[in-house]
Parts: sequence; C-alpha cells; structure tokens
Amino acid sequence: MRKAAVILLAAVFALSLLADFVAPYSYATQFRDAPNGAASRSHPLGTDALGRDRFSRLLYGARVSLLLAPSAALVSVVLALVIALLAASSGWCERLLLAAADLFLSLPWIFLLLAARALLPLNAPSLAAALVSFGLLGALGWAGPSRVMLAALKQHLGSDFVLLARASGCRGTRLALVHLAPNLIPLVSAQFLIAIPAYLLAEANLGLLGLGVPEPLPSWGSLLRELESVPAMITHPWVLAPAVILILVVACLYWAVSADKHNV
Amino acid sequence: MNAHSRLCPRWLASVGKRLAWFAAVLLAGGILGGALVRMAPGFGIDERVLDARLTNNSVAELSKVPAEGSNLAIYYWHYLGGLLRGDLGNSISLGRPVRALLAERLGVSLRSLAAGLAMAWVLAFSVALLLEIHRRALWDRALSLAAGVLLCIPAALLALGCLQLGGSPALALAAILFPRFFKYVHSLARNAASAPHVFAAYAFGERGVRIAGLHVVAPALPELLALAGVSVSLAVGATIPVEALCDSPGVGQLVWQAALARDLPVIVNVTLLVTAVTAAANLAADVGRTLREVGS
Repeated sequence: MRKAAVILLAAVFALSLLADFVAPYSYATQFRDAPNGAASRSHPLGTDALGRDRFSRLLYGARVSLLLAPSAALVSVVLALVIALLAASSGWCERLLLAAADLFLSLPWIFLLLAARALLPLNAPSLAAALVSFGLLGALGWAGPSRVMLAALKQHLGSDFVLLARASGCRGTRLALVHLAPNLIPLVSAQFLIAIPAYLLAEANLGLLGLGVPEPLPSWGSLLRELESVPAMITHPWVLAPAVILILVVACLYWAVSADKHNV
Repeated sequence: MNAHSRLCPRWLASVGKRLAWFAAVLLAGGILGGALVRMAPGFGIDERVLDARLTNNSVAELSKVPAEGSNLAIYYWHYLGGLLRGDLGNSISLGRPVRALLAERLGVSLRSLAAGLAMAWVLAFSVALLLEIHRRALWDRALSLAAGVLLCIPAALLALGCLQLGGSPALALAAILFPRFFKYVHSLARNAASAPHVFAAYAFGERGVRIAGLHVVAPALPELLALAGVSVSLAVGATIPVEALCDSPGVGQLVWQAALARDLPVIVNVTLLVTAVTAAANLAADVGRTLREVGS
C-alpha cells in the first residue's frame, strides 16, 4: 500500500514539475469563445468561466501547491529544530520557549493567518502573495513540532553517547550539530511529512474562502472555488478533478507518514 | 486532615498558576493579533487608491490619510482602556459598534458550536466504545477508513458538501470534527481496553457497558478531558469556513468579512474573544484534571 502511495505521489510531483511540457496551454491563456466548455480532446477537463484550460491549470496548480507546501513545512521544521536546540541549552531558555510554544498552540492561528493574508497589499503580485501565504503557514507551525523535538532531545541528553561526548570535552554547538541533530533526523523527517498534508489542506481552506493564492496563478485551493456552484458540478463533473487529486495526494502523504512513523 | 491540608495549597497554587496563564494568554493573544495585522504589508492601504479614475494627487492624498490603529502601541493602549469600560470600538467596514456586532452574532455561533461539538463527541465516543465492546474487525476497519478519508478532505470542502446536501452549519461542524475526535478516542479506548485489568474483568464475567464505563472510560478520563479542551479550539477554528460558506451570520462569518474588508477593530476583538474561549476551555480541562488527580 505504501509503495502505491509513493508511486502516485512521485507521478503527481513529476507531472507538476513537467507542467511546462505536459500542459497543453499556459495557465493564463484564455479561449474567449469557449468559457465553461465541456471536456473535449483539446481541453481534457474542459474550460473554466474565463475560458482557461482546466487541465493546464490543474498541472500548474499542482506545481504551486506541491512546491510551496513542502517549503512551508521545511520552514516550520527548521524553526522547530532551532528552537528545540535552544530550549535544551538552558533551563530558563526552555521555560521561556515552552511558554511561547504553549501560547502559539493556544492561539486560534487560523484567525491570525486569515487576517494577515487579507492585509497583503491589494496590488501584490500573485507569486509574492502565494509565497507570503505559505511563509505564514510555515512561520506559525513551529510550536507543535518543537515540543516533540524537545522531548526527544531531552531523552538523548540523558543517554550514554552524549555523556561520553561530554566526557571527551564536546560542548555547545559541536555537541548539538555532531551528536544531537543527526539523531533527530528520523523525527524531523516524520514531522516534515506530517506538516505537508496539513499545509496543503490549510491552503485549500484559504483558497475556498478566497484568501489563498490570488488569480491568475492557480493552486489547488483556488481551483476548488469552482465547486461553490452546484449546477457547474452537476453538468461539468470534471470540475471535481482538483478536489479528487488533492484528497488522493493528502491520503497518500498520510499513508507514507504512518508507514514512516514506525521507523522513528 | 493533615494530608488534606497539605494537598489544598498545592491544588490552589496549581489553579492560581493556570488562571495567571489564562490572563497572560488573553493579553498576548490580543497583542499578537493586533501586531500581526499592523505589520502586514497591506495595512492601512485604502482600496480607493486602485480606482483608475483618480488622479495621482488624489491617490497621494489618500495614501497620506492615517488609518485607525497606525501606531500599534497607542492603538492597543486605547483599546485596553476602552475594554475596561466595555467599549470595543467601531467596525470600520460596517460602521457599527463592535460590541453590538458581537452580541448579535455570538448566539448564532455558540448554538452551532455547541450542537456541532455535541454531535461530534457523542458520535465519536459511542462509535469508539461500541467498537471496543463488540470487537468487529470489519467494522473497525471500515470506520477507521471512513474517518481517515474525512481527515483528507479540507474543512471548507466538507462544509460546502454539507451545505449542498441541505445540512446545517452544526452538521458541517460535526462532519469536520468527528474524524479528529474519533481517531483519538478510538486509540485511547483501544489502549485502555488492552490493559490487564480489563482482561481480568472479562474473566470475572463482567460484560459490555459496565466494562466500558468502569474499566475503559474511567482510566482514560484525564486524556479525554485534555481532548475536550482542545476540541473547543478545533471547533472555533472550523467555524470560519463553515459560517463563511454556509452563509451563517455568526462570528466566524464576521471575522471572514472583516479580514476581506481590512477591519482592524473587528479582527482584534474577535481574536481576543476566540482566544478567551479557547483558553477558558483549556483552563477548565486543566482544572478538571487537577481536581481529579487531587481526588485520587
């Protein structure tokens, strides 16, 4: 099952990276004589209300979502690792950073995200707005992983190999980088994999609310906005394609993570 | 008596510490909310500057107009003073007192939150317990798969689906929350049910509800209380997409509209209110756990 999930993920990822070659048109090309067109040989998933090829937008949207969600997850995990290493360095630092983590976990961050995303400049370029959206997701998501990493770090700090390293005169940054960080890699990779589907879903929620990646740049979240119209869904069932692909990718990521968790 | 008097100060200190934490979270929540909004690159930009009919001079004049709350420290100082007098300021986009807007919408949100939470909890709890009592592997797999699939669907898409099927906002909330609660409660019940004392209870001839209540639920109560606190936070987060997409006139819809209209007073007040609700829920759960630990 895990193999199938990984193969599907690799296929979707490869298609999104090769969108320039695979997609028949650019994501912004309009066919003004064919708005809301049905699926055909030239437009496999039909066209949207502005006459843009839905299949091409799906591929380019996959590229935006599948490149930016892992980037945001990487930001979260690196932030969490740095904060956990800092917290492990001294008692007062640990108390301060744990309090900050508790505060971040208590706050309804979706409210902050929504507000900050809505307050971007009105004329901000689409790519900049997309980067800021995912950047905010990454910056706000450090608290949970940092607590998990700190718990693991504290466990390692009491282990024999760290005691031996300390006895050999290894201290501070060297101890953190050479002895502690490598032992956290399986945990860090699991946290990274857990964050990706969460950020994909968060972007989809923002997109459906009209606060995701702005037009004309497509993302899976912004493509889901077409589902707000019931008649469109009934007469053009292919508008469901972005939702189906998103759910499949998220499910595959969860499968991959649950299999990976056993190795941590 | 001695043991009791020794326990009381510890209990009081623990509750006092949590109350202080609650107040700190509340203050920090408001400051962080305001700060994030204030530091956002588009803060204070008047939408009229995009009007192509305006001359460069008009756009320059509009850009000069200082927006309310342009200085965060002063804004927040005035805000705290007003808060103590019960004045939450006025909404920029709706031109009405924020207090009146919140009073109108709070009831709608609380009703759907309470109903959604109750439905999700009852369903998750009863399904997880029934699975443990009857131990049907096929049902277990089917329900775990269903919950897993629901977890892969964005909350906003689930809300949209419920709306299109004629469901209420409360039902949409329940559909969003159920898989999250079920996954956790199921795992808790599974762990509790595999403890040696449960096998011993079965061996002594105890059955069904009695085992579930006394030997499965009771030991898992601290974790369930923690989940109850977190569940409020999850439910509050889910109200935004649900109320925005289901057109339900609650606080979630208000904050969505405020975010679109760049309405700082509404955003800061709702952030503070929601922080208060979630922190109070966590506080209640923590106090409940402390009381239980002291009692046992």
